[in-house]
Amino acid sequence: MASRPGLQQEAAALAGAVRGALGPRGGRALLVRPDGRALLTRDGRRLLEALGLQPPTARVMAACACRHQSATGDGAKTFVLLLAAVLGAMREGSPRRAARALPAFERRVLERAVARGLRPHLRSAFPAGGPGEELEAAALEALLEAYLRGRLGPGERRAVTLLGCELCARCGARRPPALRLLCGRFAQLHAAAAGLPLARSRVLPGVLLRRDFAAYCPAGGRLRAVLVTRCLRPVLTGPGVECAVRSERQHRAALRWCGGRTEAVMEHLRSGGVRLLLSGVKQHEEVIFYAKLHGVSVVECLSSEEVALISEIAGISPYDPAGDSVQGEIAEAAVVTFCQPLLLGSQRYVHIGFSSAGAFQPHCLVLCAPVDAINEQHAATLHGAFTMLLQLFRAVDQECGAEGESQNSASGVGSGYSPATETRVVTESIACGSSQVSEHQLGACRGETAAQSSDLALQESERPDGTPPASAPGPHSKELSVCTDGADSAGTHKLPALCECPDGMNESHRRQQAVCSHRNYCTAVASTATLCEHLGVGKGPEKAGYGVTQSCPSSILEAGSVLPVGGYFEILLHYYIQHYAKQVQQSAVTVISNVVADALLSIPKALYGTERNGFTKFYLETTEALRKNQPLPVNEKGLESVYCKYQLVTSVLHCVTELLNIDLIIGVKRPLQKTEDKDSDDDF
Amino acid sequence: MSRLEAKKPSLFISEPLTTVSQPLSLLIAILKSCYGPAGRLKQLHNGVGGYVCLTSQSSAILGHLSVSHPVLKVLTASVQNHVSRFSDCGLFTAILCCSLIENFKNLNIASCTIIKISKHLLSLCTDYLKSKACGCQVSVDFSNLETLLCLVRSILTSKPACMLNKTEVDCLAVLIVKAFMYTVPCHPETKPVLGKCVTVPLKGKRVLDSTVIPGLLIETPEIQFAKPFSVKRTSSDAVKVVVFCVSMSGDLFDPEEGTVTVHHKISLEMSELDQLLNVGKQLVNDEVGLVVCQKVIHPSLKQYLKDNHIIAVDRAGLSVMEPLSQVTGSKPIASIYSLSPSCYGSLKDVRAESFASKHFVHLIPNDTTVCSLILCNRNETTWDELKRACETAEHVLQLTLKEPLALLGGGCTETHLASYLRQKTCCLSTSSSKDVECSPTQYQLITDAFCHSLESVACSLSHDGGEILTDMAYGHCWLVPSGFPSASNWSDLLSKCGCGINSSTKDLNWRHLQPLFGSSPIESCPKEPSGKVTDFMTLDCFAAKYNGLQVAVETANLILDLSCVIEDQN
Repeated sequence: MASRPGLQQEAAALAGAVRGALGPRGGRALLVRPDGRALLTRDGRRLLEALGLQPPTARVMAACACRHQSATGDGAKTFVLLLAAVLGAMREGSPRRAARALPAFERRVLERAVARGLRPHLRSAFPAGGPGEELEAAALEALLEAYLRGRLGPGERRAVTLLGCELCARCGARRPPALRLLCGRFAQLHAAAAGLPLARSRVLPGVLLRRDFAAYCPAGGRLRAVLVTRCLRPVLTGPGVECAVRSERQHRAALRWCGGRTEAVMEHLRSGGVRLLLSGVKQHEEVIFYAKLHGVSVVECLSSEEVALISEIAGISPYDPAGDSVQGEIAEAAVVTFCQPLLLGSQRYVHIGFSSAGAFQPHCLVLCAPVDAINEQHAATLHGAFTMLLQLFRAVDQECGAEGESQNSASGVGSGYSPATETRVVTESIACGSSQVSEHQLGACRGETAAQSSDLALQESERPDGTPPASAPGPHSKELSVCTDGADSAGTHKLPALCECPDGMNESHRRQQAVCSHRNYCTAVASTATLCEHLGVGKGPEKAGYGVTQSCPSSILEAGSVLPVGGYFEILLHYYIQHYAKQVQQSAVTVISNVVADALLSIPKALYGTERNGFTKFYLETTEALRKNQPLPVNEKGLESVYCKYQLVTSVLHCVTELLNIDLIIGVKRPLQKTEDKDSDDDF
Repeated sequence: MSRLEAKKPSLFISEPLTTVSQPLSLLIAILKSCYGPAGRLKQLHNGVGGYVCLTSQSSAILGHLSVSHPVLKVLTASVQNHVSRFSDCGLFTAILCCSLIENFKNLNIASCTIIKISKHLLSLCTDYLKSKACGCQVSVDFSNLETLLCLVRSILTSKPACMLNKTEVDCLAVLIVKAFMYTVPCHPETKPVLGKCVTVPLKGKRVLDSTVIPGLLIETPEIQFAKPFSVKRTSSDAVKVVVFCVSMSGDLFDPEEGTVTVHHKISLEMSELDQLLNVGKQLVNDEVGLVVCQKVIHPSLKQYLKDNHIIAVDRAGLSVMEPLSQVTGSKPIASIYSLSPSCYGSLKDVRAESFASKHFVHLIPNDTTVCSLILCNRNETTWDELKRACETAEHVLQLTLKEPLALLGGGCTETHLASYLRQKTCCLSTSSSKDVECSPTQYQLITDAFCHSLESVACSLSHDGGEILTDMAYGHCWLVPSGFPSASNWSDLLSKCGCGINSSTKDLNWRHLQPLFGSSPIESCPKEPSGKVTDFMTLDCFAAKYNGLQVAVETANLILDLSCVIEDQN
């Protein structure tokens, strides 16, 4: 059955809707919510969601684009454009046949084009120390600036970039743990003030809590603060507890005792040097009263996120006076360098300078703009930018995590092509990426993929055109050795390589505990000892090669790879896909290669927009340089993560495969249970 | 179960700026006609009846106006945000922003070029305004009241809906400055916080009856006080004050969960009341003279206190609590089970006062930063307008205290800035246009549109078709009274410029502000005014205008940057 005729038109219409907001010359969209509030954005995901699409296939496209963006923090608009271009070019010929050739194209052309063609052109965002080190300040600025250029108006980019860089630098977020915290808690780490020009925005030391002091007693110097999550005044009754009053005097005494006990707790806190009480709940009036009396400031009704942030930054857990006697030592207290009220517009904030217990140096961002909608846009954009930056690091973390394991476990890497696996892995790692440490992530990935491993194995065995074994001894294939060669050419860079699961390993797949195949980049590996031995035989000869690559089980792209922004990735990939397509005999693959290669050009075309001959000139200059093996003529300072870009291309191809394989659309009456989508929506 | 309805698809509007022209020009017309001392009033009401608002202030108009075009919603929201921060210069911001959009839209230049250049022009303006050499900036000397009075007078006269004549303006200006002075602490080293001026409404009386008194007025029903009014004093001749923020009504209302079982013949209410009376006894023993409760006091306790010559005021409300503790220095008590003498405050005196038909307890402190402004005006609508004006004036004085600068009013700042920009860009244009990647012609066009927008704000000061001129030396704004032929000798017609700092002389050259595109810039930088700061000058708040200028340009840029509107139709 041929693909549905509407597919191309739908994709083209979607592309038309987002094209206006693409690239540095794009404009922004004003979204009017149902309640009449305005939202300004150039974010592809928000645009697509706001459209409220009806055609089912268009909804699939938009959902794929949004999912891609929530994984990488970038690229929903480009996704749609590329998708439309690929689908548009597939109009001729049999789309189903093309769809069947896609996996082969990906494996045999795309990955080679990236691994071999693109590699010499890549730069690293890390200083010479390699991944795991601090992100270079200049690279950070270039990455942020390029990212913001596609999302903010020409008047704001520079200012917001500088704010983002300052925030990162002062928080210590050029290293992964702090960046993860900054990204996960960004909602609590920024505040917005409307009615002021952008130039008034600031990075402030400390944390801003969106509350007013319930009691404020100014205190200079360093002081201690405790966190509580329940009311400090004892209660007479509780849920399911009955209090029997036998006499009036008893009742009065009970109430007096409650007051006395509250005062005792407060006195105890004060004598322990505590001058600030941070409460997750509303405190009783008496608590506030006694706090004022004893010179303890109180901030109450903190949200659970704020409580979590405080305990994360200061490394304390909530204080509970109920269990222990009032005489005990107060261990769980944070050191606060200052605490004062701050007025931003009509909103009162409590400004607290925590001294950090970890890598994260608490700083917060005050965004100013004429309207709230702009502040929201800036905040969402910066959050997206930090998510994008985290991609550079997360991969590093996983590699380091796997590095330790690879000493006693083998590096059997399965590369799964099933879109379902892919999605699951990506979604999972996003879900936990924001708050948990990488080990947990790895665990989650493993748990998820464990269920898939048998499917994977099946798929592997079904694949008839697996990479033929090279002349190198053992089951490890040509891919690996080629990549090892590449390592030499790449000089000092640590070289990751893609390992294809050899056909002979099918049985061992079943015994494998987990094959976490993050397709290309972050390849976390664990397998049983049996497999280790099994592989060990074949692995010997490659040991030398692994030595060069610091025994990192790895992928086609190394951590922190960046390219200049502005269509260079697309042109390079276009060039190299065409180059490697010539080496493939299969006609279907050659056809699809040309389709994808041409579709890639649609992105720089859209970037150059209406500028006359802008694209043609750029294209000719770049390909000319490539042909002559000269360095690229780059006049852009901005950088973009190649990982995100590569992820984008593969996601689009998967989406195309999905769409072309649909043969029937069934409308159902009851709402479908969709769990994964919801998760990723909430996650954003 | 709720009915499930299919979501409607959203409405996608590309090129939203093409549809905005008509509503935008309507909005400009409304705003321009309100501007300045001669501005026309707007009557806002809904067709059904009820409250009528007569105003010319941006905060009231934009607050009540429902704008349907999404782009204009952004614009009005931005102006309202500015007004909520700075109180003043709302109309200036709105008119400037609208004319910038209108003028830029007609240029047919790519919006990103416009945005870059207008941002560059804005930075020229802000740098100039902040610089010492700025010719339209006046520094405010707080030891000389005249500048402060000028500031307040300019605000009051620019709100014609207050219906004030000249004597009333002068009288109110003095009152407002006086009230502001009360709120400035005498010893800022100990507590560097401004006090509070509480406005007490008295509608239906003459404006000239308004007064300012130090201390706090709490409104009470008349019957409470026996005559003669006397208050118990402590040995040191002060009045001891206790403030409760907990209810003293004797009701039991614990929000705790769970149940309380009460045995037969036990009344918790009685027990509560006993406790209240115990509190009363302690208050008597401690020689307390005045008890103020935020909530309700039980009648028996009230009577008990009255019998013991303690004045009890209840239902004071939350809004009074903060100034109350400032005035008395007492800490509001939250529990009737423990009274600590450290919570007591003191006052110099307590008196009963009545203004018109209202009765108040007047708390007179020893030394405080709280005062009450009793504001009178003839009717409700004009009172509301006057209150807004007074609040603006108070806020402007506070902002001026932070940054002791003022700008020339009466349109002079706008025309002066415009002539400064024209002169500055004339010599800069070739080098600057390269910086922002555009042709010198584009740069010139955009600068012209920017200056024209600034001048159109000054132009909207004239409402009767009177001509607006600018002189070639100072770049100030001059209004020709309407009804004179345009060819007449201007130096005879004009006496003072808009702000009142320059007087007309024979050797000044004037030109029209209206048909401006392509006008030649003046040869040299606009000069600083010759005159000194005089008694009757028009001055604008520096902080408000400085912010308004930036907000207007940023908002205009952001609206020009819009490429589409997606409207959710659910």
